[in-house]
Amino acid sequence: MKKSLVVLVFTLLSLSLAQIKIGALWNITGGMSSIDDPGYKGMQLAADQINAAGGLLGQQIELVVIDGKTDQTAVANAASRMVDVDKVSVVGGINDSTFALAAGSIFQDASIPFVIAGATLPDLPDQIGDYAFLVPFGDNIQGYAGAEFAFNDLGAKTAYVLYDTAYDYSVALQGFFVERWTEIAGSDSVLLTDTYKSGDKDFSAQIARLNALETQPDILYIAAVPDDVGNLVQQLRGAGLMQPIVGGDGWDTNLLIDVGGEAAENTYFTTHVSLSNSAENVSGFVAAYTEKYGNAPENGFAALGYDTMGLIADAVTRAGSTEGAAVQAALAATSGYSGVTGTIVYAEGSRVPNKSVTVIKVEGGQFVFAKEVTP
Amino acid sequence: MNKNWLAMAGILLLLALCFWANTSWNGYALRLFMYLGLYITLSVSLNLVNGLTDIFSLGHAAFMALGAYTSALLTLPLAKRASAFPSLAEWFQNLVLPFPLALLIGAGIAALAALLIGFPLLRLRGHYLSVGTLALLVIVETLATNMTFLTRGPRGINGIPTYTNVFWVWGFTTLCIYIVYRLKHSGFGLAFGAIRQDDTAASSLGIPTFYYRMLAFVLSAAMAGVVGGLWGHLVRVISPHVFSYNITFLIVAMLVIGGLGSIWGSVLGAVVLFLIPEGLRFLESAKLFGLELFGLSQLVVAIMLILVMIFRPQGLLGRKG
Repeated sequence: MKKSLVVLVFTLLSLSLAQIKIGALWNITGGMSSIDDPGYKGMQLAADQINAAGGLLGQQIELVVIDGKTDQTAVANAASRMVDVDKVSVVGGINDSTFALAAGSIFQDASIPFVIAGATLPDLPDQIGDYAFLVPFGDNIQGYAGAEFAFNDLGAKTAYVLYDTAYDYSVALQGFFVERWTEIAGSDSVLLTDTYKSGDKDFSAQIARLNALETQPDILYIAAVPDDVGNLVQQLRGAGLMQPIVGGDGWDTNLLIDVGGEAAENTYFTTHVSLSNSAENVSGFVAAYTEKYGNAPENGFAALGYDTMGLIADAVTRAGSTEGAAVQAALAATSGYSGVTGTIVYAEGSRVPNKSVTVIKVEGGQFVFAKEVTP
Repeated sequence: MNKNWLAMAGILLLLALCFWANTSWNGYALRLFMYLGLYITLSVSLNLVNGLTDIFSLGHAAFMALGAYTSALLTLPLAKRASAFPSLAEWFQNLVLPFPLALLIGAGIAALAALLIGFPLLRLRGHYLSVGTLALLVIVETLATNMTFLTRGPRGINGIPTYTNVFWVWGFTTLCIYIVYRLKHSGFGLAFGAIRQDDTAASSLGIPTFYYRMLAFVLSAAMAGVVGGLWGHLVRVISPHVFSYNITFLIVAMLVIGGLGSIWGSVLGAVVLFLIPEGLRFLESAKLFGLELFGLSQLVVAIMLILVMIFRPQGLLGRKG
């Protein structure tokens, strides 16, 4: 009892001392948690580091964390709570456009900048409005990079495309892959396009259709969300399909190796950062994350979460205020914020940064850096 | 007489509450208040089929989806039309209907779907019927996912204008409670009850069982259609997987917790299952003892459901009220 009182008083005290409230909106539970939870941890780490170094504009950052539960309505409620109850100045978070759209209109109406950590739909900021910014590259960039990598580096001439129809992300991503792939490999180089829906557990129908092809494709391009990738590789490899598999950043999850096991070998995916990179900012981030949480960053989304907080802090510092319009203007003027996932520059009028794409290969049960591609 | 005065007083009180909420509550509280109204309507309208007659429907969310998509499509601002639905006919590109009319058409389409599907479905009994309604849910979700020219598929429709306000929501909630109350306490209610307890006996007494079941099913679907429309204009984004298993089972759980067959039970179930998880949010992020408790609200709801099933299997209010 005494202990809980002390904790309560301490919590209240720390609440009253905190000055700048920044919203951290993540789907910490539910289907998105394998990428949103690392994102949240990365953001928290960055906030702690900034606070330890003296805070923002001389004030401490208080992260207002609300779980979106991988549910559109819960995300919208959380956004509304941040705006009306917690009165946050800026918000960061969210790794999928479905949820970013539900929250975005609420922040846009309240003129609160919304820095989207990991959703990669290129026209997402335009759909929401001028207060929405992306930290990652758009899916067009990684779809193109996936196609170029498969053609140039894997030497593939023909492809099979499989995508998840349940998410904007996967539908758009395969579209961009096919667009660039048919440009470079020829219009009849996609041997078969097939679909599934996130949550499907049995892919035998898709595998049967793929097996029925007269000539087998050189690579399998699969646009999927994190929950499904482990199961997918298991079943594909189990059916004797051993081609290289290429995917997008939805594959950047520990589930790929945990669930997929050996079947995950010989898969490649485009993502935001290689955590095995020895560059100082990356290794420094990995070390700090490992020290705080007792394990290395689970995937690149931890780094995106970290950069989300860094980008917000950078903009607030340059704006010299936490007022929405000022921070929005400072964010829009970002012209070289150097983060763990690359350098963020917003070209005039765009709120999607130009960044290079990292390709990662699964080898020996590890994520290994394969290539940096700038399509 | 006494009861009427009580009802009038209740409605006046609710109206006052709505005015107060609309003028001085913050946006978050107002939003929760509106969701609460929608959940109550959903649970009361599902009670009409699942509680009052013997149809245990798991397809309620499908009717919501029909209403939501209809109303969203018919009211979407012209500026968004051409870019969002490039392949649709010109008359559609220029058609913007007033909100009430769009809601009504949404309700009509949901009711029509219920009528059509009702002919084969309502001939089934028990578990078979439940699975049949579940199939309806799957069909509607699959259609919404794949008819991309009309629904934009899994990407959903965004930028839906915010028309829903507290008066729309609670006005409709009151209307639904009134309708279901009147039905329950009338000849219809007696017929429903007879069918629920033994439909063979009921039909041997000359009750046209198919007609009554169909009536309840269609009316309940129309109500869900309106809620779907209001829902879309509140969240401003709709996508197929919003109207899926999660929400269907949540509404069924509300009914079961509150007491199947009881109107006030379904209201109570909605209040409990919606407000408790929402109220636990502050605990989730409070970091008590340095522990993060994300997921707590889901856990509490699950435990609550189990406890109710063990200690009050008839629901909090039973079948009364």
